Amino acid sequence: MIALNDQLILFAGLLFTISILASMISRRLGAPLLLVFLILGMFIGPEGLGISYTNLEHAHLVGSLALALILFDGGLSTQKQNFRVGLKPAVSLATVGVLLTAMIIGLLASWIFKLPLAYGLLFGAIVGSTDAAAVFSLLHTANLELKQRVGATLEIESGSNDPMAIFLTVLMIEWILMANSGFNMVLLLKFVQQMGLGALLGLAGGWLAMRVINRSQLSPGLYPLLAMSLALLIFGASATLGGSGFLSVYLAGIYLGNQKLQSASYIKRFHDGLAWLAQIVMFLMLGIMVIPSQVMALALPALLLALALIFIARPLAVVISLLPFRFAWREQAFISWVGLRGAVPIILAIFPALAGVNNSELFFNLAFFVVMVSLVLQGWTIPWAARLTKVEIPPRNQALQRMELDLPNQPDLELSGYRLTTDSPVVGKTWPELRLPKGAKLLFCLRGNGLMNVHEFTDLQCDDQLYFVCASNRLGELERKLFQQQLPSRLSERSFFGEFTINGNARLGELAMLYGFELADELQDCCLHDYLQQRFGQPVVGDSIKLGEIELVVRDMRMGQCTKVGLKLPH
Amino acid sequence: MCAPSSLSKKKALEQISQLLDSSIPSMTATAIFDALQSRERLGTTGFGDGIAIPHCRLKEVTEPKAALIRFSQAVDFDAMDQQPVDLVFVLLVPQDSNATHLAILADLAEQLEQQNLAQELRNTKDADELFNYFQSQ
Repeated sequence: MIALNDQLILFAGLLFTISILASMISRRLGAPLLLVFLILGMFIGPEGLGISYTNLEHAHLVGSLALALILFDGGLSTQKQNFRVGLKPAVSLATVGVLLTAMIIGLLASWIFKLPLAYGLLFGAIVGSTDAAAVFSLLHTANLELKQRVGATLEIESGSNDPMAIFLTVLMIEWILMANSGFNMVLLLKFVQQMGLGALLGLAGGWLAMRVINRSQLSPGLYPLLAMSLALLIFGASATLGGSGFLSVYLAGIYLGNQKLQSASYIKRFHDGLAWLAQIVMFLMLGIMVIPSQVMALALPALLLALALIFIARPLAVVISLLPFRFAWREQAFISWVGLRGAVPIILAIFPALAGVNNSELFFNLAFFVVMVSLVLQGWTIPWAARLTKVEIPPRNQALQRMELDLPNQPDLELSGYRLTTDSPVVGKTWPELRLPKGAKLLFCLRGNGLMNVHEFTDLQCDDQLYFVCASNRLGELERKLFQQQLPSRLSERSFFGEFTINGNARLGELAMLYGFELADELQDCCLHDYLQQRFGQPVVGDSIKLGEIELVVRDMRMGQCTKVGLKLPH
Repeated sequence: MCAPSSLSKKKALEQISQLLDSSIPSMTATAIFDALQSRERLGTTGFGDGIAIPHCRLKEVTEPKAALIRFSQAVDFDAMDQQPVDLVFVLLVPQDSNATHLAILADLAEQLEQQNLAQELRNTKDADELFNYFQSQ
């Protein structure tokens, strides 16, 4: 027995190491990491190395746990500025959008597979939600910066639509098991209870968790564990009381992530790692559970469904859900394309089997196939889609190291370090020449093994590591300063934002006179910021508008006000 | 021309206006300064990499006028890259020549975007050489 356990540990260690190292391959190939884990799982599974795993109750438990941790981490790293532009459209997508997707796919599935309508709709609900893990990892790790309106909407949508899909799935299962008793008020009430109680307990739980964490005196290593335990507590309490645990844990994460929290940076880093672990475990497990030959037997109709989901259901749901909001068609196209499906549909596909619904194997295999197609087709092409639909803006995040400084009663400061590369525009310049953005201070420079303070060196060399203290909202400026040249030319500052910079409070009339464009009389005295607000509702960096020959591109936003606008000359 | 050092953006624009004064008889240096200054109030014309292109439209000029000034000591122009400016290219165009105005401006910007041109202009010794070099490009 002891020898067997040792072997088990050996095997588990090997599996995790391979999975983690595989992330490097995925980066090189541009393949979505989750796909790599899933394929690795299939490799080990019954038709690969021959390990089989069929305990559905276990799988459900592991899946729910993993999902809760991923959502909590996603919440922790969701910044509250994103709510300003993303909340309402995201909620619309997460409710109306999921419902529409589920209905369209449901009708199609029941038609293709000649299933009763209820069964078709059950399948629609199963694949109804976008995947939080896939979207979060896309938004937080890829070297891709999206316009805030698009990024924030996708992020909040993917975190909040799982509860809706889960609810619809459970509802359809009940409908099938109750056999034709039809919709009734009880089900509707249940929906209100799930969402209402889930939201309430999530926020209340988040508030309580913050008090508990900030009031306790623990050894530093325990704070992240305390946060995790509280997250599980919130999930469990909410689910037990009849709320949506997933919604609760996500909201609690968001609340905690945006409050002053003791050891916040430890907690965030720990949960980042934990979320990775959860993803690896969940996707490996799902990969092992599936029997590839059974899935392939369904290939043709399943492919049809997957394509219908990607090209019909999702775009339609996006366009309708976003009708009340001002999204450009390109932005809608991109949001449609990032309807990534992931683990949730596969986990939800276990539900019918657990509940004893007929045909449950079909659901699992179908869901698995749809997810694979979505990951391959959409996941692989997202950077390309972002370029095509012009939703990317010049990226940041080149830091070697970043640490939030938790200083009481101080504005948000971060410690960040960078290594200079040969093509950095500041290499070769002398240090006094380097004009840093206001709010950024150079602390020291690490050259080779030598540590130098600002008085000890004059020139900047390649491979120097510079460490700064910088106000959080100035980091982007600092990073652009250090790494300007590394960007592809379409995203360089000048080709993206144009030659000149106009202040947000500039009068439109003066601009019209200088650059010669037609302007209605009532707009003459309007300032640029107000005009952009009229046009975009809530402008975000990267929004652009053509006036006569020139193009104006929003360049900097402060507290919801547009402060700097780039001016692009005709070329 | 090559100008001595200026202390501030305002001073620099004043110097530039005085320079241009002689070539536009119908305008005083103060009027030119006011026009340039009101453009700067809308947002900096600092272009990045130590270059600025102040520009405005004036009803008093009949054909586009330009001047290239190199400051021996760079001036803070509030440019987005925070870099002080030493090469200033002023452009004054007639009120009604909109298309030309934008075309010249875009052309100028494109020229100055080439790193070596700016560098070469900085390496010239005096006003004549500066002018000749720019003409030759």
